[in-house]
Amino acid sequence: MENDTNSGNTYHKIKTFDQKNWVSENLNYKKDSGSRAWILHRISGIALVAYLFLHIYSISPLTQGEVAFNNKMQTYSSPFFMVVEWFLFAFVLFHALNGIRIVIVDWADGAKYHKQLYRLSWVFGVILFLAMGAIMFAHELKNLF
Amino acid sequence: MYKYKASKDTGSKSWILQRITGLALVVLMIGHYILMHFQPESGHTYAAVLARMQFSWYRIIDLTFITLGMYHGLNGIWNIFRDYKLKQWAKISILSALIILGLAFTAWGYSVIFSIPYINSISGN
Repeated sequence: MENDTNSGNTYHKIKTFDQKNWVSENLNYKKDSGSRAWILHRISGIALVAYLFLHIYSISPLTQGEVAFNNKMQTYSSPFFMVVEWFLFAFVLFHALNGIRIVIVDWADGAKYHKQLYRLSWVFGVILFLAMGAIMFAHELKNLF
Repeated sequence: MYKYKASKDTGSKSWILQRITGLALVVLMIGHYILMHFQPESGHTYAAVLARMQFSWYRIIDLTFITLGMYHGLNGIWNIFRDYKLKQWAKISILSALIILGLAFTAWGYSVIFSIPYINSISGN
């Protein structure tokens, strides 16, 4: 009992497999900013790779000359695609800002303040996202007001 | 004897390249967004693309962008797969699929850029 405060005594806390909630208690990642950043970085990364393939496909009509390309671009300039592009920018923003955070954590002792960096990247991200929306939809916004 | 059969490559090169390419992509992406969205016409008309592509520097930047983006993206996907314990055959087939897909789409992007003609302004067009 006198060893209870020592670090070597954690074995008692490990649950066994037949416990009902073992998976959710032991195999779930702690829902903290670090793991949220990790999973969001992955999701946005996968989405951006998918978009990169799509992007090469979407600009390939450049080889078919001016008319074909301009026609394709006309469809991509529709409001629907613009909103999609806007949300694509959200993915780019998160991945870029969190990527900078990762580099700071790796190379600039950022592990000490990675949570603050995570919050800061969200602040910058939301500001830039809204700013991009204002730039992209400047014409539509002018018509609204 | 404990002898590792795995590769001696610890992944440190891939790790550092992922950071370097990532930082480069952030810089390139800022330029890309300013060019494409600050003036929407500049990214969405053939004439604007053609005019831009008269400067070889733009072509070089675009080729770099495709290459770095493809490397960074597919290396990232591969890193996700590496987090899971995969059978050897699965590793080999996933990695080769990613490499083939990456090379094919990079080549496609390159060919699109190279297909844009240089207009000879001296001949009086």
